[in-house]
Amino acid sequence: MKLNFTVNGAPRSLETPPDQRLLDILRNELDLTGCKEGCGEGECGACTVLLDDKAVLACLTVAAQLEGAQITTIEGLTENGKPGALQAAFVEEGAVQCGYCIPGMVLSAKALLNETSDPTEDDIRRALAGNLCRCSGYTQIIRAVKRTAKEMGAE
Amino acid sequence: MSDYKYIGRSVPIHDAQGKVTGSLRYAGDMVLPGMLHLALLTCDIPHGIVKSIRTERALALDGVVDVLHCFNTTKERFNRYRNIHGQKLINQEEIFPERVRFVGDRVACVIAETPQAARAALPLIEVEYERLPYATDAKTVIESGVLDDMFEDGAVYPAPELINGEQPDLTGTTITQTQAHFDRQSHVTMEPQACIADYDPLTGQATVYSPNQSVNGLRTVLADLFDLPYHKMRVVKTTMGGSFGSKQEWMAEPVALAAALHTGRPVKIVFTREQAMLSTITRAAFDGKMTTHVTPEGKVLSVDIETVIDAGAYLSNSLDYCIVVSSKIFRCYTFPYVRYNGKAVCTNSPVSGAFRSWGTAELYLLVEHHFNELARKLGMDATDFRLKNIVKLGDVDKKTGVSLGDVRIGDCIKQGREKFGWFAKRQAAEAFNAQNGRFLRGVGIGCGGHGNTYFPRREDFGAAQMRVSEDGTVLVNISLHDHGCGTVTAFQMMIAETLTIPIDQVAVGEADSSVTPFDLGCFASRTTYVLGRIAVDCAEKLKDLLVATIAKADGSEPEAVKIQGGQILAGDKHYSFADAAQYALHTLQQELTVMHQFVADSNPGVTGAHFAHVEVDTKTGMVAVLDYLAMHDIGKVINREITVAQIQGAVAMGTGCALTERMTPNKNGRFTSSLKDYHLRNCPEAPDVEVEFVEADSIGGPFGAKSIGELSLVPVAPAIMGAVNDALDASLSYLPLTPDRILKHLANGGESR
Ligand code: FES
Ligand code: FES
Repeated sequence: MKLNFTVNGAPRSLETPPDQRLLDILRNELDLTGCKEGCGEGECGACTVLLDDKAVLACLTVAAQLEGAQITTIEGLTENGKPGALQAAFVEEGAVQCGYCIPGMVLSAKALLNETSDPTEDDIRRALAGNLCRCSGYTQIIRAVKRTAKEMGAE
Repeated sequence: MSDYKYIGRSVPIHDAQGKVTGSLRYAGDMVLPGMLHLALLTCDIPHGIVKSIRTERALALDGVVDVLHCFNTTKERFNRYRNIHGQKLINQEEIFPERVRFVGDRVACVIAETPQAARAALPLIEVEYERLPYATDAKTVIESGVLDDMFEDGAVYPAPELINGEQPDLTGTTITQTQAHFDRQSHVTMEPQACIADYDPLTGQATVYSPNQSVNGLRTVLADLFDLPYHKMRVVKTTMGGSFGSKQEWMAEPVALAAALHTGRPVKIVFTREQAMLSTITRAAFDGKMTTHVTPEGKVLSVDIETVIDAGAYLSNSLDYCIVVSSKIFRCYTFPYVRYNGKAVCTNSPVSGAFRSWGTAELYLLVEHHFNELARKLGMDATDFRLKNIVKLGDVDKKTGVSLGDVRIGDCIKQGREKFGWFAKRQAAEAFNAQNGRFLRGVGIGCGGHGNTYFPRREDFGAAQMRVSEDGTVLVNISLHDHGCGTVTAFQMMIAETLTIPIDQVAVGEADSSVTPFDLGCFASRTTYVLGRIAVDCAEKLKDLLVATIAKADGSEPEAVKIQGGQILAGDKHYSFADAAQYALHTLQQELTVMHQFVADSNPGVTGAHFAHVEVDTKTGMVAVLDYLAMHDIGKVINREITVAQIQGAVAMGTGCALTERMTPNKNGRFTSSLKDYHLRNCPEAPDVEVEFVEADSIGGPFGAKSIGELSLVPVAPAIMGAVNDALDASLSYLPLTPDRILKHLANGGESR
């Protein structure tokens, strides 16, 4: 099929089988390798991206669902080539270790902050429930999200 | 706070920006020109012989280049765990064995132009097997002998008996026996195994890019397997998306290199999650039995331990693992007499291998559970009981005879129970439970000890090289294998601190077998303690050279020159590192460079005590961790927040090991192979973990630092298990304590003792 959609603000048009996974489109066709495959079955969250500002799993989303969609990947959260506010908070809070879970984690957090600028700790924990991290106990990750929310509120 | 500029502060890790923006490439993200892709076919029967493999249909698929399997690939055997040349090990494994020994064993691989084509060809390969009888647990193998012919030397490998000390007079003591068990567990690194192998037939140069813990060990295994000269076999360590031991053994690299050699092109392999769970390594299923004689005052006089390690389908490291279990017993406690026996047993299960702590978590599960039982029997508090049996400052490790130096498990227990409010929580839990409600609460303690180096068990040494560039920045050449927990940054901090310069003026690379000095690899929690010491000593040497160079340039005595605040001071004149480097280049015609080698000669005790407060839901069997404190005798913290985060990660992992994480076989011999059925702690379930340190500048390591990575896992499962048992007034020690197991226990009237 011919797929027309938007990735990180840029219109894209490509020829793809309708059952091609969004994960493969991003990684193999568009070289956006920040989108990670951790399980391929919707269990780890490493492949999380935003579809029309909502968090979706790129390993379970296929081309046929993407016509006209706006996709945001981790690469799309940068500002002038530098980490955006949420990304910078992850770095500064010590939330990044091996980093493999981090793009998905950041995008799930982003989806939450798109909905509410004042999340409670429970909101944050629930929003990140589908994103597994094996290196940390999530403490610094939660702090990074709180901090970003606070900074957003202050603006 | 000390007056260090960097040591003990919190610094984001060096590649955090690349990770958080997605720009950093892991092996699976890398692309080389002309690169091919592999997909691995693994077997779906637990034991059998490959009779035939038909590949015609797979080969006919567009984009498929070739299929490798047992009838067209080297039959040379190797040991996935070998990490140094000359290591005495049994080689049982082939890249593609004709006799397959577990569900997940490697059968074939498709080489194709795209990953999609490689994957699509897998179901087109037709394999015919002759089935053989199988067993997926050690007990059946031992009792039935069903696998006696699986290898030339059978399937059961006893470890040599260890006896330490003289059996003392046991009059008046009480004898107690307990058992403990861990199911098989998966590392679940979020990055599955992946690598790229490249081969140039014209020059004979082979290169492997992989997230691995030992570029030198891996290089010798690959070179021996394919008969390549060592100088033409290069291994480059790539960014590692977690390891916990799972990337210190070689499963992906031999397959990828076989394909690269076969095609003369770069080839990438990326394991699926199912393959990462079944076809790499796992933590062995563990069974232990402990028998002691204890005095009425609570001093344990005599210890007898028996263990069984389920090695899985290849012995790999399991015999060493079984032996090593005994080696950590004197790192936390001391006993006049210990006898240890163990065996590693091959079964038709996923292969067992290195798992964070290398058997120490298993040992302390056994010991800590036993101590809880003894404390209860003697009517003593669990923390008081431990204090009667711990090692003290200056004691020696009775196994090795080496000083434990500044070991502070006593401080960890005493300060920890204070901070945790142990006695108050215990009382409150008793009062809470007296209401006889649906929920029951309890507290538990877990202790453990570990090492910081191989010394003196085997050789341990390393080297570093440092060079000053023309602008005064410093290049450090050392074989680091950062697992993602900030090794590179810790080294930048230690070197910057020593040289008194900003962190960003220090560049530290990672291991590349053709470039960086020889190193054993990131094992035995040795990196900070051994290599960190080497880096700091090397930086001191570099300071001497900078001083000598400026003394020459300035025409003053070296004694009158010193380094301070990143400047070289000679009298009232200030020189920069750049001045020294340029003077050396242009006038002395030398590069400012030093090399430093060092052999480890100490291994202080490094310990921790963890405290858990849990609530058990007697309706669902679910356990919630209400409070948790991890107290660590760490010597000196280098990078504070990341160390805290690493320990909290260990607690989350250990909580999973205690409560939910298990790989078990189905009726066809296939073990758990999906995260749908294998439950890690997620964000809502992860406990809030407080981390505290006893910092007391130990000797031997850099800035007084000791190890943390592996040790931090050791006390977790015992602490959680102890708390659950306290809540239920039970003696459950068959882990994980899944809701099912807890409910079954409650349904049986709560009788477990
Ligand atoms: S890769 Fe999509 S959820 Fe794991
Ligand atoms: S940082 Fe390693 S999995 Fe989250």
